[in-house]
Parts: sequence; structure tokens; C-alpha cells
Amino acid sequence: MYTVRSEEMLSDNELRRYSRQIPLIGEEGQKRLKETSIFIAGAGGLGCPVALYLAAAGVGRLLVADNDMVEESNLNRQILHYPKDIGRKKVCSMGEKLSEMNPCIKIEALDAEIDEKTVASLTAGADGIVDALDNFPTRYLLNGVALKRGIPLFHGAIHGFFGQATTIIPGRSPCLRCIFPHPPPEEMFPAIGAASGFIGLVLATEVLKYILGRGELLAGRLLIWDGWRGSAEEVPVMQNPACESCSGMKERGG
Amino acid sequence: MKVRVRFFARFREAFGPELEVDAIKGETLLEIVRRAASSKRDGYSTLFEEDGRLKRFVIVMHNGSRVEHADAEQISVAEGDEIAVFPPVAGG
Ligand SMILES: [Zn+2]
Repeated sequence: MYTVRSEEMLSDNELRRYSRQIPLIGEEGQKRLKETSIFIAGAGGLGCPVALYLAAAGVGRLLVADNDMVEESNLNRQILHYPKDIGRKKVCSMGEKLSEMNPCIKIEALDAEIDEKTVASLTAGADGIVDALDNFPTRYLLNGVALKRGIPLFHGAIHGFFGQATTIIPGRSPCLRCIFPHPPPEEMFPAIGAASGFIGLVLATEVLKYILGRGELLAGRLLIWDGWRGSAEEVPVMQNPACESCSGMKERGG
Repeated sequence: MKVRVRFFARFREAFGPELEVDAIKGETLLEIVRRAASSKRDGYSTLFEEDGRLKRFVIVMHNGSRVEHADAEQISVAEGDEIAVFPPVAGG
């Protein structure tokens, strides 16, 4: 499913930096992380923790797209933005923090709106897409491009102390529209950083497992997090044969 | 006979994690959900439109399998069944 493109060696610096995880994933695994490009859609509540932990793990190239500016009301959950960043582009604020945190990786800050016209070019070259958005219409666009290119889409969303996450592997799992054919009504959702953080780190873990080709992905399973109860449950989700987004694509193989 | 109706995510704010409904033989999934919804203040309008249809985004599962709204109107419940009702959440 996933091929390593080059035989680039890890530097001494990298070997030291990642010495606590290399026993877990091997130098081979670390090289895979280094050679992977992940597109993160959104530099907000979910995007911040996802990017932070993928950067820390050494995913080699992170493309982050968002065209919003940092506002004071973001600071309760968008943990890479600080008071000094208010009024700046979120992707710039985020890019700066990530580069400082891990200079071994490349960060591409894409100050752009994700829409029908831009979605294909923004995600070009990415090996996987992280849905760290706050609305379903744009999520469906990412779903479409992931299906078309045969790359995974890691979906997460939150509402207050609640959250959900699933991994979409085109051809092998239901797509986002199979699972959610109709979006919930738009609203000003309440948000607490700990819920975005929890779901963000589920997404980061999924990305790492996918890249490493290990563990069991949340493909065909929807994880539902209830922070008030401290309980995570999963419900099986299936491909919808009549899905307007993915029906007829089943034979592609994952 | 007893049927469990479980709620997830923000539906729990209205209903709590689960309700037990005393079902009558022949009652359908949707009838049970309607009855569970009506048992709480504002519960009905959380799940149903004014015209009585289930809101489109609401996901209904019957014993672990997703059911379409149209099928939920047809399928009768049996003793020990579990119905799960949940909304997608959308925030980031
Ligand atoms: Zn589909």
C-alpha cells in the first residue's frame, strides 16, 4: 500500500532526536515518516494538536492550509497560537512554532481557502489528508479528492466535550459520505481544547499507523468520544452501495 | 418487552446515555425512538422535524447496524433489541 521513495539516511541529529521511538518503529519506520507528506486541512482546534504531534514524531513534510487569522477566542483550544499571534495568519503562526519545535522537518504554510477550485492543487503531492476542519461542505471536498487519488482521509470532529474520528481508506472502507450522508445543521459549536486535543491525537495516531503500516486503523469504525463520561465507544460503519461519492469505486483496492 | 435506546454525543445532553422503553409487539424502530424522544422535555424537537420526520442527519443503528430512516419505519423491534441514535458532530 505504501512505498518508501528514497534511501535517504537519517542524520545523527535525527537518530538522537528520535532515539526513544526508533526502538518501537525501527530506523526503517523513522525513514518512512521522514519521507511522507501529510496535508492538514485547518490550523485550528484539531489542526494544532495533529500538526504538533506529527511534527514531533518526524513526519517529513507537513502541508497546512487555512486562510483564517488568529482571534482571541481561538486561544482556548488552538494551542499553537499565542496572544502575540492575534491578527496574524494562522498558518504563519503555526508554521513558525512547528519549525522551531522540529527543525528536521519541512512545514509548508498554505494561506489559502480550501474550495472546489483549490482542493486538488493544495493537496497535490500529499500521501494522506487530515480533516481538521469545522464544516461538512469542505469535508466532502476533501473526501472527493481522497477518493479520486486513492489516499487516506483521517476524519475528526468535535462538539463541546464530544468528538468523533474515523479513517477512510478509499476502496477498503466506507467514505465520509457513506457514513455521514447529511451534515448536521451549521452552528456556533462550543469547544473545549481538551476535546480537540483528544480527537487530534487520535488522528495523529491514525496517520502514524498508516505510514508505518502497523496496528489496526479506524477504517470502517467510527470512534465516538464522550469526554463527560470519559468513555470512547466505536460503532461499525459500512459502505453505502448508493453513496453519491464512492459507489462504483469499490474495485480500486486500498 | 424491553428495548434499549442509546444516545451518543450531544444527544446525551437531552436524553442521557440511554433510555429503556417498554415496547409493544409490532412496534417499529421509529415508533420506539419517537416514544423515547417524547419522554424528555424538548426531546422530540431535538430528533424530529415539525412534520414528524426524523431529522435527516440523525443516524439510527439497530443492534449495531446502520438503518435507513425509511427502513426504521418498517422494522419491528424484538425483546432485548438495542437502538442507537446519534448526530454527527462538525466542529474543529
Ligand atoms: Zn461513500
